[in-house]
Amino acid sequence: MDFALSPDQRLLRDSARAFLDEHVKPASLRPLWDDPRGESEAVWKEMAQLGWLGLALPEAHGGSALGMVETAVLLDELGRAAYPGPYLPTVLAAAALEAAGSPAQQKRWLAAIAAGEARASVALLDADLDWRPEAVAARAEPAGAGFALSGTKRFVPWAHVANLLLVPAQAPGGLTLFCVEPAAPGVTLAPVQGMDPGTRWSTVTLARTPVGADAALGAPGQAGPLLEALLRRGAVGAAAEMLGAARRCLDLSVGYAKVREQFGQPIGSFQAIRHKCAEMLLEVENSHAAVYYAAWALDARADDHELAASVAKAYVGDAARRVCGEAIQVHGGIGFTWEYDLHIYFKRAKALEAQYGDGDYHRELIVRRVAA
Amino acid sequence: MDLNYSPEDRAFRTDVRRWLEANVPTGELATLEARKAWHRTLYEAGYVGMLWPKAYGGWGATPMQQAIVQDEMARIGAPPPINGLGIGFIGPTIIVHGTDWQKERYLKKMLTAEEIWCQLYSEPNAGSDLASLRTRAEDQGGHFLVNGQKIWTSAGPIADWGILLARTDAKVAKHKGISCFLLHMRQPGVEVRPLKQITGHSLFSEVFMTDARADRRDLIGGVGQGWAIAQTTLGYERGANSLGRVTRYAIAFQQLVRAAKDLRRGGRPLLEDPAVRAKLGRAFADLEVQRYAGLRVLSALNKGEPPGAASSITKLSHTEFEKRYYETALEILGPWGQLMTAREEFEEVDTSSGEPGTWATAFLWSRAGTIYSGSSEIQKNIIGERVLGLPKEVRADRLKA
Repeated sequence: MDFALSPDQRLLRDSARAFLDEHVKPASLRPLWDDPRGESEAVWKEMAQLGWLGLALPEAHGGSALGMVETAVLLDELGRAAYPGPYLPTVLAAAALEAAGSPAQQKRWLAAIAAGEARASVALLDADLDWRPEAVAARAEPAGAGFALSGTKRFVPWAHVANLLLVPAQAPGGLTLFCVEPAAPGVTLAPVQGMDPGTRWSTVTLARTPVGADAALGAPGQAGPLLEALLRRGAVGAAAEMLGAARRCLDLSVGYAKVREQFGQPIGSFQAIRHKCAEMLLEVENSHAAVYYAAWALDARADDHELAASVAKAYVGDAARRVCGEAIQVHGGIGFTWEYDLHIYFKRAKALEAQYGDGDYHRELIVRRVAA
Repeated sequence: MDLNYSPEDRAFRTDVRRWLEANVPTGELATLEARKAWHRTLYEAGYVGMLWPKAYGGWGATPMQQAIVQDEMARIGAPPPINGLGIGFIGPTIIVHGTDWQKERYLKKMLTAEEIWCQLYSEPNAGSDLASLRTRAEDQGGHFLVNGQKIWTSAGPIADWGILLARTDAKVAKHKGISCFLLHMRQPGVEVRPLKQITGHSLFSEVFMTDARADRRDLIGGVGQGWAIAQTTLGYERGANSLGRVTRYAIAFQQLVRAAKDLRRGGRPLLEDPAVRAKLGRAFADLEVQRYAGLRVLSALNKGEPPGAASSITKLSHTEFEKRYYETALEILGPWGQLMTAREEFEEVDTSSGEPGTWATAFLWSRAGTIYSGSSEIQKNIIGERVLGLPKEVRADRLKA
């Protein structure tokens, strides 16, 4: 048993940190807040060059055939940098395509994603914001040789820059996941901006959007397990990103507590501040254990991988919110200003807390598994 | 990263499980003799003193093997060995700092529980500020004369020996005037008075020393080195791995789920109440994270990495978790959770004392963990200073010195 990252995984982490420290500086985030796209095309291309977009894809599709642990390593760093862009939804969609896509679907999308030429997203929420796959309300009605999709998908991350949306809908044969191109007829995107300027959502409306029979991902009517797996991967990925944001907030707080003086002493010498920082570290270290345990469990298909994914999302969501919030408290007034960077991480952690199943959803999944 | 147990570890676990199934005593171990006999059986099977070097009667096992034994013992509900303080912390301190004579005289009898050990550190006025202790040890040539009072001494009434911190020099800075001794508890100058805890039990005592004698050959390290030696002991105490404990909490969780199925409100099992489900989900996530963090620490220990100040994070995390956990359990159980005598349909739960009890006992016991072996506040100071590198606080006693 070895809980530590391997030398290759550490190398990946270190090179990711070096790249993001240089190319995704906090100062470079701010101009993007007013940009309609909200992400940097140049950084996306660089990420493709570095092999990040195909990290977990097979080599035949231009990927590196690595796993969820490596993906979590990257997302941990992306969270630390508060990187704004469709990395997580794109790799989630790619993983679903790899798991269930037809050869034609894989050929159409995977190499393009790995090369940085296509972005993708997943439309997991319908109008009533219920994460359960069985609650999908959008409908797929037979139309010609294919289907016509109708429904409203809420809070679809980065849909406005995506070339491909994975859209679950109730088809006559049951729940089915469809590949939909946002440019298709009947698709309307309306931007929705939350408090995190680095997270972009859209409301996606489908009005009898025609798709071919070959647009179904996997066997029609059998999308439940596929969606559950997608949501699990998203939960662990989001937890990894929240972990990175929380650790950055802890680092900023400790650094500030060492130099900020009041009453003639650094504030870090006061137990009120020191103890807060110690509690933050405890939550960050426990979150680290939760994220990497779950990532490993997904890769290893361990008996408890479903449970571990929900534990990670539920625990880290709470922990990251607290740590990023306490960082503002440690900083005092400066931490509440727009100019200071803390709010960037605080808002990112909060945005992710509500994605890929919130804490309540995952706690209920946990109880179903352990209290049956 | 690979969290699979190795084939050797899996085989070892199978052996341990088989051995325990064949050997765990049925029924309660009512007497000290019975507990000592069970301890001896465990020792001879290789399940006590596992991390001690073979040269001192130990088994030279890996931290992973020790964790597996603790885990399996928790799973089957085996009574714990006795002399935990001796074997966990005092023996290793003697191995590191003791003389050959001390090792020869004390270690084997400690391992076999022929002699029971206690720790004589805390005093009524020296708790978190342990270095301010006042118990005096006066050098009389061949021996030291010990006068003072100790408190919170676990296993006091059954202890044959104690590891003692006492002041040998009142003129130097307080950390520098302390020496460490091995004190015979069965002598006229030592009086043990059990203290009653909030649980109603008496698992610790006050110890009064009036002209008690500590032989010079029972001094550990040099005169004035007691503080440094105590740091070793406390490090062991906090670094002890905790998987067995997590397994006991997991068993308690299943007991809680059963209770939530049996108890009804409004004609329906409590388990169907969304508020109860939310609490259970949070408690289980919290519990699982303790397990993952425990595996992370264990994997580092198994590679020979010393836990160092990070063991304070583990101690803080576990003991604070335990309070939250039993608070949640008692919220769910309502007044049923407050019964000090188990209702027939409730099973006994393991408390952090290692003794079975009721939910109420476990809830009350959980208040102890964040105080003993360095309170949560002391752990946060250690984490702040030694892990995060925050500046030391300005302390009144250092200003005076």
